[in-house]
Amino acid sequence: MKSRILRALLIGASVSGAAAGAQTISHAAPPVANSESGTVAGSTRTAPPSDSSHSYDAQALRFESHWGSADIIRGANGPVIGTVGWFRGFDVEKLVESSPQAATEARAFKTNNFRGSLVGGLGAATVVVGAVLTSNSSNNAASPILIVAGAVAVAWGAQHLNTGYSALSRALWWYNRDLAR
Amino acid sequence: MSRLLLALCTGTCILITGPTLLTAQERSYDENALRIDEHGGTISIVRGVSETVVAKIGVFRAVDVAAVVSPSPKAIAEATVFQRNYRPGTWITSLGIATLGAAVGASRISGLNRAIPTSLTIASVSLITYGGFRLETAHRALARAIWWYNRDLK
Repeated sequence: MKSRILRALLIGASVSGAAAGAQTISHAAPPVANSESGTVAGSTRTAPPSDSSHSYDAQALRFESHWGSADIIRGANGPVIGTVGWFRGFDVEKLVESSPQAATEARAFKTNNFRGSLVGGLGAATVVVGAVLTSNSSNNAASPILIVAGAVAVAWGAQHLNTGYSALSRALWWYNRDLAR
Repeated sequence: MSRLLLALCTGTCILITGPTLLTAQERSYDENALRIDEHGGTISIVRGVSETVVAKIGVFRAVDVAAVVSPSPKAIAEATVFQRNYRPGTWITSLGIATLGAAVGASRISGLNRAIPTSLTIASVSLITYGGFRLETAHRALARAIWWYNRDLK
């Protein structure tokens, strides 16, 4: 009797163990269609999990900031495939076009990066002009106005650049999410 | 027969509780993948599609990023690099900015030895450059930590 109970325990354990194992690897390898029967195969072990992580290792993108610009890097130690930043025209949308949500975010990045770069750059130039006028001891009333207006433009531009980088972060997140895992 | 059924059920129940012990790493990318969001000098680490903020790193606010990206070993290593560089970077850069302010102030004092504002300016530029380098290293390490964490999600 004891041996029968023990055997039943083992059967129960093995059934549950197989179910748990399938759940763990389900995201890594989707069910594969059986070519002969046309049905979905019950086991996902035909696709080695290492392949999916290999794909992510080679393809997944990230960006690393670098003195005001950002390098877009592919893979674990991969090459820099583009640099974005002030007035840099790298086409992120084309890079992530395989993922629709990533492409939408990339468009938002492009718009905000351009606006931020333009207005921020003009603002910085205005501040410099105002500072030069002030340092020349001219009593021109326009110089403090130039400095304040320039500072406001720099702040506005910085906010748009921030929003742009946030969109870039989302774009790469969606792109990596849609990679085969 | 009922005892046999009871034993079968017990065995099943014991192992069904197994999946509840799975760590966050073993849940889906949509729910758990992290990304960095920067706003107004504050770095936020957000999780999943819902963008839940899991950590906020301010200019002088320390956060245990290694705990956020555990248990991925490579992510923890990069998070350690971030933690080693971020706070010194912010302090050194701030000190550099303060020194630059002192240099501007010293240059306005008439009769002061010109070597003082000049040396203060050189010191401030050096501090800002070195602090900026440490901050750059920290930011790159954080980006890599998040990348490795997401890579190790199932």
